[in-house]
Amino acid sequence: MTSSALRRTEKIAQVTLAAAILLAAVASLAQDDIVERGKYLLFAGGCISCHTEDVDDAVPLAGGRAMESPFGTFYSPNITPDPETGIGNWSDDDFVNAFWEGISPRGEHYFPAFPYTSYTGVSRDDLLAMKAHLFSLESVRKKSRKHDLAWYMSTRLAAGAWKELNFNGARFVPDPTRDDTWNRGAYLVRHLGHCGECHTPRSNLGVRQTDQELAGSQLGDESVPNITQHRVDGIGRWSISDIEYFLDIGMLPDGDFSGSSMGDVIEDNTSKLTPGDRLAIASYLKSVPSREDP
Amino acid sequence: MLLRLISISTAVAMTIGISTHAVGDTTPEDAFDYRKAIMTTLRGHLVAASMTMRGLVDDHGQIANHARSIANSTRELHNIFQEGSNIVDSESLPAIWEEPEDFAVAISKVQEAADAFVAAADSGDSATIGRAFRDLGGSCRGCHDEFRVAQN
Repeated sequence: MTSSALRRTEKIAQVTLAAAILLAAVASLAQDDIVERGKYLLFAGGCISCHTEDVDDAVPLAGGRAMESPFGTFYSPNITPDPETGIGNWSDDDFVNAFWEGISPRGEHYFPAFPYTSYTGVSRDDLLAMKAHLFSLESVRKKSRKHDLAWYMSTRLAAGAWKELNFNGARFVPDPTRDDTWNRGAYLVRHLGHCGECHTPRSNLGVRQTDQELAGSQLGDESVPNITQHRVDGIGRWSISDIEYFLDIGMLPDGDFSGSSMGDVIEDNTSKLTPGDRLAIASYLKSVPSREDP
Repeated sequence: MLLRLISISTAVAMTIGISTHAVGDTTPEDAFDYRKAIMTTLRGHLVAASMTMRGLVDDHGQIANHARSIANSTRELHNIFQEGSNIVDSESLPAIWEEPEDFAVAISKVQEAADAFVAAADSGDSATIGRAFRDLGGSCRGCHDEFRVAQN
């Protein structure tokens, strides 16, 4: 090889190496972006509230929070990346299937205490960003507690039968007659933020009554308020600004501050959203038809 | 001198008399109504301050005054939860009287947050004021979460 050919080869090698380093850096930055976006989506999805035990020194996302229901007490599982007690062995498809179809990597049906009935509308991109963030966290070895349920719910077959009768998985489809803000709000309220899981009344079989969307319900001892546009029973007199402010700091228009479970939602979820997303939620809620308390 | 002594003694006796009357004879209903009045006052100033901060009304330079009124009302929180005043319409949870130390800590946090809001309002910096108000709200939520009936 001549000396000029050698220099050219060296130059090509240098350029190739530089390009590879640049590509790796870009990929790393992109992954950082996904992890950061996933963190935001975890807040928006309310994951931290439910998957963190309700005690002062609880480890975030390591599960153990008790959720009372007419069918017994559900305990949220550990969703840190521990391979044995958490979700560290889950593939992308495992993760997406859990949210879209309510099915575990082992093919078991989830009880709808895990709100896949709402999460089914969340996009694959958003779900994988959430997974990327979860997998960037420290593993916590903590075995998930067994649910304490009525005898007829003690097998996952009951969850399968319930799904067969009551669940249709489907992604969110934007309404072309509405603007982007409304559609973002609909996505957040109906799917990612799953507001209807608490605010929409349920039948005796635990099925959300879609014709009573957000009209309020009873969760154990707690009355969950009507957030439709009904001016007496709901929040029809609240302005968009009132709703945004409530989601931000938890103050009602009369100066009261929300405690109880909505206090947790504000602390761990809605206060962490961008002003744009809070505006989107408020815009959507202002469009929910007026409904009396059930 | 003697007259002055008699006068002071009388004043002290009257004060003791009034105090004794207030502690001994406040009915649960009166204690409850007074508590409600203090809470209503607090809410009123919270709403007025927040509406000004959100720009829903013109700023008449009153945020610091609202902050002081809020802080003054929070001073009374230690006195308005009389034992036995948990009557029909009350939203107070028994934990207030069953865990008095924890309740005192929660109230103190509200007072501290209210004082911080006064300092922030005096600074005139809107970002500082907003943060202090948010913290004050957090302290209110914390107390309501533990010591008030879950709200509809």
